[in-house]
Amino acid sequence: MQNTVHTLKKGDKAIIKDFDIDLIPLKLLEMGCLPGSLVELLQIAPFGDPLYLDINGSHVAIRVETAREIEVELIQNNL
Amino acid sequence: MFQEIIAFAILGFAVAFLIRKFFWKSKKKKDCGNGTDCGCS
Amino acid sequence: MSVQNINVALIGNPNTGKTSVFNQLTGLNQQVGNYPGITVEKKMGFCKLPNNVKANILDLPGTYSLNASSMDESVVIELLLNKNDKLYPDVAVVVTDVENLKRNLLIYTQIKDLEIPTILVINMSDQMERKGISLDIPYLEEKLKTKIALVSSRKGLGINALKELIVSYKTLPNEPCLNASVIDPEYFEKLKHAFPNQLIYKLWLVITQDVNFSNLDRNEIRNTFTKSNSELKRLQQKETIKRYQFINDVLKEGLKVDASMAKDVRAKLDRVLTHKIWGYAIFFAILFLIFQSIFSWSAIPMDFIDSTFASLSSWAAEELPSGILTDLLSQGIIPGIGGVIIFIPQIAFLFLFISILEESGYMSRVVFLMDKIMRRFGLSGKSVVPLISGTACAIPAIMATRNIENWKERLITILVTPFTTCSARLPVYAIIISLVVPSQRVFGILNLQGLTLMFLYVLGFATAILSAYILNKVLKLQSKTYFVVEMPSYKLPLFKNVGINVVEKTKAFVVGAGKIILAISIILWFLASYGPGKEFNEAETIVKERFANTTLDEAQFENEVASQKLENSYIGLMGRAIEPAIEPLGYDWKIGIALISSFAAREVFVGTLATIYSVGDTENETTIKSKMQAEIHPETGEKVFNFATGISLLLFYAFAMQCASTLAITKKETNSWKWPAMQLVFMSGLAYFSALIAYQLLN
Repeated sequence: MQNTVHTLKKGDKAIIKDFDIDLIPLKLLEMGCLPGSLVELLQIAPFGDPLYLDINGSHVAIRVETAREIEVELIQNNL
Repeated sequence: MFQEIIAFAILGFAVAFLIRKFFWKSKKKKDCGNGTDCGCS
Repeated sequence: MSVQNINVALIGNPNTGKTSVFNQLTGLNQQVGNYPGITVEKKMGFCKLPNNVKANILDLPGTYSLNASSMDESVVIELLLNKNDKLYPDVAVVVTDVENLKRNLLIYTQIKDLEIPTILVINMSDQMERKGISLDIPYLEEKLKTKIALVSSRKGLGINALKELIVSYKTLPNEPCLNASVIDPEYFEKLKHAFPNQLIYKLWLVITQDVNFSNLDRNEIRNTFTKSNSELKRLQQKETIKRYQFINDVLKEGLKVDASMAKDVRAKLDRVLTHKIWGYAIFFAILFLIFQSIFSWSAIPMDFIDSTFASLSSWAAEELPSGILTDLLSQGIIPGIGGVIIFIPQIAFLFLFISILEESGYMSRVVFLMDKIMRRFGLSGKSVVPLISGTACAIPAIMATRNIENWKERLITILVTPFTTCSARLPVYAIIISLVVPSQRVFGILNLQGLTLMFLYVLGFATAILSAYILNKVLKLQSKTYFVVEMPSYKLPLFKNVGINVVEKTKAFVVGAGKIILAISIILWFLASYGPGKEFNEAETIVKERFANTTLDEAQFENEVASQKLENSYIGLMGRAIEPAIEPLGYDWKIGIALISSFAAREVFVGTLATIYSVGDTENETTIKSKMQAEIHPETGEKVFNFATGISLLLFYAFAMQCASTLAITKKETNSWKWPAMQLVFMSGLAYFSALIAYQLLN
């Protein structure tokens, strides 16, 4: 199964691989969410949504529906 | 008499102000081309 | 040497301390307005610089880039594209945060492409040591082709150096720091060829952004250089990547971070503040504190304002030459102004708390915590702030919805916010509760009257949330959801920023809503002071005849005349005209008058009833209360303010849209008549039917 930001667990780090540009708000790109960027899942809100991420040094919260569209490659599991 | 004139002038101002506030379109409307989310954010 | 005026534009991402820099440069020398026709705040300030130069400083809305995804950004782009705009900057100052330099530089590279002289401000430089950050300023200046001012707006460091740089803006290098056209050389070459006199980046902005640009026809360019929207978006993405590559390369050399130095307070605080139990517990504790202070602390200044205006009114009535202008002043205008001023303490306290929470970075955590819950009801996490603000006044609350990106969520928030119990409802609730709810204790500790008041607050919130749920199902609005919230690092709020914010917001309320409330009070005064026919004009003779056999002292006589006049004044006639409609709710025509006049502002209810029941001294609440208590319905012989009528009135005031100023704000923010009309009909309909059902069941 393809990993997305949505499938990450708290503390996981990953590299953004690809996403459908039409489904991602431009604002997120401008904040540094680009293919090749490092992303870390910092917190998950109490009801599982939104997700609190560190993308390339920017701290942002996005909803799961957006996170589902961002494909990533896991590089560090938080065990 | 003098008092009445001023009092009614104030009334006139109040009515005119409200009419302007509620019934006049804001002067310059933005022309947003063919934008989709115009005037809403 | 003559005085030289220059325009300076402050540009930068949100949360970079741009506004603090602005406040440092201008102090209280600022004006806040709106851009014509749209609801984006326009902040201007003035600053004296060395060498006899005066600067008009424009604080542009915080944006992440020059890509227009909201009104805020369109404003920035339009200003920077239009050289003829009288605010077109001679020099742009891009403010960045040293901790987020990479992201903050994106917009900087775009501004540079427009070939405007640009100064780079690296803010929060006082944090560098603690975070283990070191900068190679000469290297950065060379690569970014600019002058850099290291500033700490919190501590006021580096502001003078920045002023010096602004004065010598003519010596700044003008050329772009990277070549963005490599993303599609062929395309840009053609563009350049077709419009040799235009900046290539300007053309690119005109093509990709929905903005006005005076001398270029956007459609014409787009037709010649056709690309599908998704192709354009892809190109924009390439552009963004290109810019980030450049920034990464520059920062690799120019910025060093010693990771071992960085102690992350943020992670620790986040763990507690967004915790599934503690997070909510802390949030509700803060809410409780806010409500507590709004209602208990502001009671003292409010009482003071109340009594001051009351004595001002009676002073005017006694000292000024008698006549209708004096009456208008003492009965219409002064109480009208007082009715606005009295809300200042509550609103100021509310904004004090909200801006402290926003400045500290906590508000983003609340948005994060509440988003999922609020979304079930068609709202956004960002709707929390408006709903809380609504407990003071719906007007600033509706203005606070501006940062909700999703139009549908924003609209629903605007529509339901007036259900929250605003402070204007409080005096009405207070007097009716004291009339119809017995003051007894339940379960030993809780006061039944207090419990009723609390129930009304809960009812307000619950109705707001429930209507949001219904609206979410009913409204057929498609709008692409996107929700991106920056989680800024925690900071101690700056007293100056908080103070300026409180003053500004309070001023906006007083000026915006105050004018409407005052105008309506004036009109209501005329309607209550004039009437057709001899019932009104010969009130004194009629009263004399009616009381021919009883002896009235002068005060009693005047009260009777006033009451006779009011009954037959225009507003009295209106009250009697609507009586058939409100009778099933348990109201008589006198309450009808109070309902109509409540349209100016709800709290007018008490004052109007006081006048109707001819209580000379409106200040003494017990007398109004005892008069209302004693009021007997002429036909049924029952008390007018019995339990059923009281509850029906409470429900009516809880739901009805009785605030003209709120409607005006809704109209302004939604730019349409449809939504305020819907608010009026929906809320008042709900009020009418729930009051009807309550009265019929209880009576």
